[in-house]
Amino acid sequence: MTREVSGDMTKSNLFSKIKDFIHSDAFIFLLPAIILIIVFYLIPIVVSVYMSFTPLKNWNIARYIHEFVGFENYWRFFYMVTHDPTVRPIFITTVVFILVTLAINVLGGLGLAIATFFMGEREASSTQLLWLLPRMTPIAVYSMIWYYFFHGSAIGTLNSILMSLGIIHKPIDWGQSIIPWGPWMIIIFVNGLVGVSYGMIVFTSAISNIPKELVIAARVDGASNWSITKNILIPLLKWHIVYVTTWQMLSLLTTYDHIFLLVEWGLVNRYYGTTWALYIYNMAFTAAEKDLGLAAAAGVILVIVGALLGLLALKILGFEKMVKEPRGDI
Amino acid sequence: MVVVRLMNVTKVFRTGVVGVKDINLTVNHKEFMALLGPSGSGKSTTLYLIAGIYRPSSGKIFFDDRDVTNLPPKDRNIGLVFQNWALYPHMRVYDNIAFPLRIKKLPENEIRKKVLETAKMLRIEKLLNRYPWQLSGGQQQRVAIARALVKEPDVLLLDEPLSNLDAQLRISVRAELKRLQKKLGITTIYVTHDQAEALAMADRIAVINNGRIIQIGTPEQVYTKPATVFVGGFLGNPPMNFIEGEIVEEKGKLYIVIAGQKIFAPAHYEPIIRRGGWRKVVVGFRPEDTMILPECRDRNECVKGRVYAVEPMGREYIVVADLGGELVKAIVPRTLVLTDDQEICLCPSLEKIVLFDPKTEKSLEVLAAEKE
Ligand SMILES: Nc1ncnc2c1ncn2[C@@H]1O[C@H](COP(=O)(O)OP(=O)(O)OP(=O)(O)O)[C@@H](O)[C@H]1O
Ligand SMILES: [Mg+2]
Repeated sequence: MTREVSGDMTKSNLFSKIKDFIHSDAFIFLLPAIILIIVFYLIPIVVSVYMSFTPLKNWNIARYIHEFVGFENYWRFFYMVTHDPTVRPIFITTVVFILVTLAINVLGGLGLAIATFFMGEREASSTQLLWLLPRMTPIAVYSMIWYYFFHGSAIGTLNSILMSLGIIHKPIDWGQSIIPWGPWMIIIFVNGLVGVSYGMIVFTSAISNIPKELVIAARVDGASNWSITKNILIPLLKWHIVYVTTWQMLSLLTTYDHIFLLVEWGLVNRYYGTTWALYIYNMAFTAAEKDLGLAAAAGVILVIVGALLGLLALKILGFEKMVKEPRGDI
Repeated sequence: MVVVRLMNVTKVFRTGVVGVKDINLTVNHKEFMALLGPSGSGKSTTLYLIAGIYRPSSGKIFFDDRDVTNLPPKDRNIGLVFQNWALYPHMRVYDNIAFPLRIKKLPENEIRKKVLETAKMLRIEKLLNRYPWQLSGGQQQRVAIARALVKEPDVLLLDEPLSNLDAQLRISVRAELKRLQKKLGITTIYVTHDQAEALAMADRIAVINNGRIIQIGTPEQVYTKPATVFVGGFLGNPPMNFIEGEIVEEKGKLYIVIAGQKIFAPAHYEPIIRRGGWRKVVVGFRPEDTMILPECRDRNECVKGRVYAVEPMGREYIVVADLGGELVKAIVPRTLVLTDDQEICLCPSLEKIVLFDPKTEKSLEVLAAEKE
């Protein structure tokens, strides 16, 4: 009896809480964000999940939309990953691409931020501008530059440099012939260069918020640049490193724009130059037979993997510890 | 033995701002020197020049006979304490204090010994396992001093270390800091904008304004014989009173006319006034050297005025008096009963009056000494 009553009360409590929230100022401020999340995030996910349980093909929605195949798309996907020799490379490539590019992005951004911190003001700002260029250049133009740089014929910049130096005698088709290292190197290089600036900006602004007295104090005590970096800057940037790593990892997991162009233009090998996100895109939009159900299933799994990796990253890198325990009781 | 000497040191920043100009300063072995001045006067700049964080644009800095002008901070063996204490937030107190020794690569057991010793001296040995954010302001300040002292520096430099503490704590810490400095016998330069702090702690005070040192002397000298109107007005609470006066001579005797009333010129100024032929002067006198009487018996030592306001300060009253349109202050015992607008008689102690040149704002003694 008592239990029922209390259960009732919590239910109506929750209900009135929601009602209160809807009538509060906070709700008005959050409304635009809530609408955006619903329109651009929740609806697409719901649609994808739905699609992943249908045999939808070639955008023939009218015909397939009411057919359900259960988890068949998911089983097919797992089977392909484990058995299809053309799909497996894509997953190895995705893992290698994310790990190496992530390391380049985070360490490069950190290194640049710290290096520019110890530079004079003028050198620092021109260095930073230089590293922002890849980000500021339109994707097509930027990809074009590297297309010509790594081009497999003698007109490729890299080839002509190496040939004029006498290091090689015949042009090398970097993206197609040295499998898998050639295509990997190219997609990692091209994306790594773009991603570095993000970490650089975040870390630079974080460093500029460190009281300069901390660094001066260490200098007076005789600390070298390296020991200031190791003992003061990096520990104080811990939170930002976690943040940039997580953010960059998730965006690498879902990025495909540069890679799409490089594959499309034939610069890199189709299998060892394609990542999971691009694979989904191709399956849904460019393949001869557009297997949308399968693409949706692969996409849903990608979202789940992304969410898990995000949580894992925050956990491993100690998100909880970063939030300081309150001083004494509050 | 370390004597710190700055010779004609000038610092111009890259922005073109002049931090300090032509600083000449000698801080003797074991001396506690206060660098006193208002905000933006160049105190921190001077300190950072001594520390080697800034390089002088011109001039030289010596530690004893060693020219350190171009030495980096680490080769000067100094301890530095900042206004915000600059404790490393991610290190425990122990590691904060140990940091300078770890940089020197001392063996860990020696580090432990020194850290414990220093912590004990500053009575923070119970806090060694805490993080800075778990400490009160006063405790953080002790940790900062411990970190500066642990490497046994030749020179201790403190940049307004007490200004983040509340008034009560500041007064108790300053006595303690002064004792500690005397006990350790380290040459110390202490930057502050708080004149009471400088007067209470320092062996000598260097008053700095607009990047220039204006006066160097013992607290007594700087307080009683300010070299300029600025120094007189910066030291003391309430500060020195200033009022324009004119010198007249009657029957071979010198008088100063203030607010239309004659008082004797102070005896020790007579030769200076005669030699310099001074006419217009600024008369400076301190509130505590000023007596207030209910009425004047004409003795040419006092001037008539009127009560403008009375500020009870607990121990004594501050009387703000209107002297022919100028407001001056006097400190009087609580026993004196005064009402607003009451006529009173104001008697500055003649031998403590300081006279200044209205143009250069320098005291007549200083100008006379400069001429010789
Ligand atoms: N790094 C710098 N670059 C350019 N100008 C500076 C720099 N540091 C100080 N200044 C300028 O030099 C002058 C003296 O500054 P300083 O920091 O020495 O003043 P301060 O006496 O310590 O003042 P406060 O009591 O406010 O700390 C100021 O005008 C200041 O703006
Ligand atoms: Mg300062």
